[in-house]
Amino acid sequence: MGTVNVKVLERHQKTFWEKSYIPEISRGLGVTVKQFFKNLSPNKEKRDTFTIQYPEAGTDHYAERFRGQHRLMKREDGQVRCVACMCCSTICPANCIHIEAAEHDDPSIEKYPKVFVIDELRCIVCGLCVEACPCDAIRMDTGTHMAPRTDRTTAFHQRDDLLKKGGISIATRAGQKALASKSS
Amino acid sequence: MPMVTINGVEVEVEKDVSILEAAAQAGFDVPHFCYHPALSAPANCRMCLVEVERAPKLLPACYNPVSDGMVVQTESEQVVRARKAVLEFILVNHPVDCPICDKAGECKLQDYYFAYDAQESRMRAEKQHKVKAYPIGPRVVYDGERCILCTRCIRFCEEISGTSELTLADRGDKIEVRTFPGQELDNDYSLCTVDVCPVGALTSRDFRFKCRVWLLTSTESICTGCSQGCNIHLDHFRNETQRYRPRYNSEVNDYWMCDDGRLTYKNLHTDRLLSPQHNGATDNWHTLTKSVAAKLEKQIKAHGEESIALVLSAQAACEDIFLAKLFHEEILGKKAQLYIAGKPSGKHDDFLINADKNPNRRGIEAVFAKLDGIKDVATLAGDITAGTIKTVYMMGTEFGEGDRSEAVAALKKCELFILQSTQGADLLDVAHIALPACTHAEKEGTFVNEEGIAQPFYKAYEPHGDSLPDWQIFMRIAKAMGKSTLNFTFLSKVQDRMFEATELLRKAEEEAAAAAKKAAEEAAAKKAEEEAKKAEESAAATEEPQDSTPS
Ligand code: SF4
Ligand code: SF4
Ligand code: SF4
Ligand code: SF4
Ligand code: FES
Repeated sequence: MGTVNVKVLERHQKTFWEKSYIPEISRGLGVTVKQFFKNLSPNKEKRDTFTIQYPEAGTDHYAERFRGQHRLMKREDGQVRCVACMCCSTICPANCIHIEAAEHDDPSIEKYPKVFVIDELRCIVCGLCVEACPCDAIRMDTGTHMAPRTDRTTAFHQRDDLLKKGGISIATRAGQKALASKSS
Repeated sequence: MPMVTINGVEVEVEKDVSILEAAAQAGFDVPHFCYHPALSAPANCRMCLVEVERAPKLLPACYNPVSDGMVVQTESEQVVRARKAVLEFILVNHPVDCPICDKAGECKLQDYYFAYDAQESRMRAEKQHKVKAYPIGPRVVYDGERCILCTRCIRFCEEISGTSELTLADRGDKIEVRTFPGQELDNDYSLCTVDVCPVGALTSRDFRFKCRVWLLTSTESICTGCSQGCNIHLDHFRNETQRYRPRYNSEVNDYWMCDDGRLTYKNLHTDRLLSPQHNGATDNWHTLTKSVAAKLEKQIKAHGEESIALVLSAQAACEDIFLAKLFHEEILGKKAQLYIAGKPSGKHDDFLINADKNPNRRGIEAVFAKLDGIKDVATLAGDITAGTIKTVYMMGTEFGEGDRSEAVAALKKCELFILQSTQGADLLDVAHIALPACTHAEKEGTFVNEEGIAQPFYKAYEPHGDSLPDWQIFMRIAKAMGKSTLNFTFLSKVQDRMFEATELLRKAEEEAAAAAKKAAEEAAAKKAEEEAKKAEESAAATEEPQDSTPS
């Protein structure tokens, strides 16, 4: 058996000023009030804090690979690139993509999404749909995200709304040429 | 019987089976495209090449029969290399547009590609283009680019349906499956070609693009299109049946089913009766069963049991019929009239399609043991107009061979018409009370097919709307009438009792038959005895003078 060393600590004794509280409270309030007026200063440079009206107002503080709301890309002739393969809706862990496929009038396209709805409120912004898409048809590079809302139905983004946000993609196999069309 | 060694496993197999089948018995899958167990083996795809000891080169396993002492390798390095080469060859002009292809997820080419090839295409030239989405028949769509020319579809039409519409046309990389001039792929079994096609070259016009196959859940079921009772996979997604696929059963349908039967799944979702109706207004089960009970009691009191008709449907399962039988015996009273209804008969052939379009007519026979005393529904209209029937409790909406408009007009005159059905059809406006029953996809049960084979089907998803299985509806009404003898918690309890009862009925019948036979035999024996006696007597009589002559 070893011996146990015990160190006896002196208790911190409060001074009379501390015990009376009032001066300490006013000292603390003083810090708050000073900060308050400093952050109200018309000169923004002098302020210690800044508030972004998130998410209503945009910001340029996004990382390059930030995942925002979805958009659907277009073919060169402006038609939807999506071929309704359902890879995205299959992988989606939130089960929030609803697609109804249909036969296209143009036999070279064969299949297209008659209905394509994303429930952006249910979306957990994981980005798996973009990874799964074999056609570079869906992207999350809009840089916008869901703002608070009172009406749930406005969170159902329909195919044509998604397409309006989309640009033209000329990506070919394995995503080649995808970057070339990124900015459009 | 020959002994063969496959990947080191020794198996004894029947004489003349192919190496591929022997390997399957030993537990090894040999990849294949053109081989189909029910079709002849042309050995044209070369996917099934295997190494056989002392053979000069790899052999197609689907075509070569085993011989005694054969030593086969199905996964050796050489075999795997050959597979990769075969796949690369097949894929030279293949579009590999799996995202658009309806077969993706159940495509042999896709599966084998991932298992054995898994390399990027080395083809640098433009791929050969062929017909896309070509309507090769009214129900089948052909894609020439995806076709791997295995000829399974062609052999199906030659060997199974016997219609021979298809052939290969052209040569080399222009070769395609075509119909003979002036013909189209339009036989009663044409959708089976979609099943046998190992790739997405043949797709069903109906199922195309409706649902990705990996989202489907499959439940073992029975087709209700006719009394053949083809075994099926009922593929469903989100509480809706998406398609039927044949399920192998050598006794009933082999690997096949007819097109009409395959498309009967649509009935499961069209114009369903989804909530209980009381004089056209939606009601709930609780109050409605009470009013049904009160009304039935009133009718029985006013006009007697014999004024009530219980119409049994040959579309319902045995369990439902059995509950209907108990309902008849214990609730309505034995004197209530029984009728048998079902769809009118239709076309038939000598392969699968039967004239009787009801899946369970034999089931009614099995439950009731004998059908005397059960009238055909065609006579119902007459009985109502004659005034003998005042109340009709009807399962289903079919009138068999009877005249429909006449029957509907007669039903309008009924004092009480209770309809218990999956669909209301034109009877919904006539019925005083409509009880929603669920379809065979939404419950479990048994159908007895034309040959007398009892086959179970299973529940795929929950009943739509407020519908309930027929057997439960009968129980609810019985309970509302204060008779708790019809009280089964589970379907298995119904089945136990039903099989017991039918067994008893069968035994009783057998005993009766045996007794009759015995009586007949006894009578025959007696007769024979008597005759023998007579013969003896007459012989004695004739003998006597013979004896007397010499003396
Ligand atoms: S980001 Fe994730 S959760 Fe949102 S739609 Fe795509 S896969 Fe679904
Ligand atoms: S993965 Fe791409 S092509 Fe497929 S359905 Fe989704 S968006 Fe369309
Ligand atoms: S046939 Fe098979 S491999 Fe070819 S595109 Fe269809 S799923 Fe893909
Ligand atoms: S259509 Fe299908 S079954 Fe017919 S030859 Fe082509 S791949 Fe084979
Ligand atoms: S399966 Fe044997 S050659 Fe096609």
